[in-house]
Amino acid sequence: MQDHTPQKARKKPFLAPDFVRAMLAGHSALGIAFAALIYIVCLTGTLCVFLHELQRWEQPDAPVASAPLTTEAAANAVEQGYRKARAANAAHDLFIMGPSPVQSRVLVNFHDHDTGVEGNWIANDKGELIVENTAPWSEFVGDLHMHLHLPRTFGLFLVGLTGVALLSSLVSGLLSHPRLFKDAFSLRWGGSRRLQEADLHNRLGVWGLPFHVVVSTTGALLGLSTLIVGVLALAAYDGDSEKAFATILGPHPTEDETAAPVPDIAAMIRAIQAEKQDAEFASANFGHIAKIGQIVHLGMRTPGHLANSNSYYFDGSGKRLGDGGLESGTIGQQILGALQPLHFGWFGGFAVKVVYAVLGLALTFVTHSGVAIWLARRRDAGRPTPFWETIWAAVTWGQPLAIAAAAIAIFSGGEAFALAAYAGTTVACLIAAPFAGDASRLTQLLRALSGIAILAAVALHGTLWASRATDPMFFWATAAMAACGLIVLASARHRPTV
Amino acid sequence: MSFSTHYHLLVTLAGGLITTAGVVMLRKRWLTRQRSSSALLIAGWITVLAGAVVLAQAWGAELGTTYALGALSLAAYAVIAATYERRTSKARAPREAPYDPEERPSNWRRGVAKSLLAIVLAGIAAIGLGVAVAVNFPMPPQDRAVIGGLLVPILWGGGMAWTLCDPRLLRATIILLTVSAAGFAVAFLPKVLS
Repeated sequence: MQDHTPQKARKKPFLAPDFVRAMLAGHSALGIAFAALIYIVCLTGTLCVFLHELQRWEQPDAPVASAPLTTEAAANAVEQGYRKARAANAAHDLFIMGPSPVQSRVLVNFHDHDTGVEGNWIANDKGELIVENTAPWSEFVGDLHMHLHLPRTFGLFLVGLTGVALLSSLVSGLLSHPRLFKDAFSLRWGGSRRLQEADLHNRLGVWGLPFHVVVSTTGALLGLSTLIVGVLALAAYDGDSEKAFATILGPHPTEDETAAPVPDIAAMIRAIQAEKQDAEFASANFGHIAKIGQIVHLGMRTPGHLANSNSYYFDGSGKRLGDGGLESGTIGQQILGALQPLHFGWFGGFAVKVVYAVLGLALTFVTHSGVAIWLARRRDAGRPTPFWETIWAAVTWGQPLAIAAAAIAIFSGGEAFALAAYAGTTVACLIAAPFAGDASRLTQLLRALSGIAILAAVALHGTLWASRATDPMFFWATAAMAACGLIVLASARHRPTV
Repeated sequence: MSFSTHYHLLVTLAGGLITTAGVVMLRKRWLTRQRSSSALLIAGWITVLAGAVVLAQAWGAELGTTYALGALSLAAYAVIAATYERRTSKARAPREAPYDPEERPSNWRRGVAKSLLAIVLAGIAAIGLGVAVAVNFPMPPQDRAVIGGLLVPILWGGGMAWTLCDPRLLRATIILLTVSAAGFAVAFLPKVLS
């Protein structure tokens, strides 16, 4: 948090001025170093809150299922998925996901991690596989958020490190805020741009702190998990990461490839429901399906929990091997179950997603305004940096443009052009930025282009699907995205002050 | 909609309104803080807490607490947005002079050293401590692994913030090296001894 005024001399400051100035220096350095990465991760993270809705928008002729999958339908999905996997010569791991309060499709995925062959299908509420699951733009946005389209391990680490930097910024921001209580509700709009940005930065940052801390901590942990578990494996599991992961995530299948029958998922579901009558099917993960060493992780959901489901473990004979305790187990188990839902806002339902989107946008704005305040401070001190002002404008407004450009590329040319369109637009914005005159003019131009690009992507997708769309989400999402495009376009009418 | 859905919607709405009322009371106290006692402050926070209790009644402690924290953020945003102060004169100076970041001697070597400390060494120290907890904490293996893992980003973030604000590079280096050595020693001790 930045830009504060000292308390009156008669009162002892809440935080010593020297400490605050030192914290502000650290906060500024950290913010500037990681600002672009934090901004991209926050912006795409906000979009990812609606990933399931975007997937439905992208493929609006696929079946939708709102009620929990019945036992018979789950068994049917397993049978059909396994048959499809065998036909594709990829019957190794099979994953079924049923509808839940956060997503309304029956998804079937199979893959063979040795050959890399995989298949993604959408089934109806009877468990019949209807259509292949293809939502390349949603997948593009999800991958951008999770690993920035870099090589997966490195990308995950970098995003995890970005989460650490964001968490660190929250700590240093809070400690460099001597007027935390005095300015708790103060928002002065107009007049000094720096004061206005600082007020907004601080209010959005401080009052949204529980959310900001939760998403940065969980995001950092998800990104750094491979590294942490790697070191843990060295310390306690003779360097065997699989073994370390199995301690945390439950039993893994063994490597014995002897053929065996596919276990009866219906019997497993009924066994759990006999113990917990309100348990609903959420997912089933068959590791090394139809092999003697296979293991099933059956996800069953009961109401009132952050975790999407609890995992129940079974071996190939259907014998129960325990459970993950993700819903009501020990503290560590419950934290594990809540990590992903808490990070993405995937619990509770659509209202929670809207709240997460508002708070995610707030965090994105806090990131943007942090750099804007630093630039304004330099300008006020007579040391303006027009170059960095234009670069930051290009980062801020180049990203919505680049993400929309990726959508246009996918809808017009195909998935293969998405990354080139995104990277090309990002690089073009950065290269052209210093030649744009000043940052406010560039901001205005990029807002206009972003708004037009979003509307173009929506229009293009609409012309492709309007006559075939059966999912009502297509119409809702089209309207919402068109409204976003119009708002961004309208914001370009006025030239922002710097 | 079923009775249960109606009930949840109504109670959620009530919880949200109670939380907002608490935030409004806190703002009222904030406006008159020179004159009023702490009664309004305490009443405001108690009302916010009451909103959380209502949400927890409807959704259970786990979801209700999460919803209450989200409701607090949204209510505060809404109250601030509804009561913003419009300033028209661009020339008008701020009430008081703002703090500026400390001016420090800086060059690229110092920058690289600070980055190495904040990113690399603070990271090593945090992973060392986290893994030490994951290996040795008196809890079931899964619990201590998750809690140790969760500690890593928290400690790394804290270490990063402290390293960047501390102007003395040598002090930060010595402390981080010591913490790293201690963390990894404790983490790998059972393996060495076995």
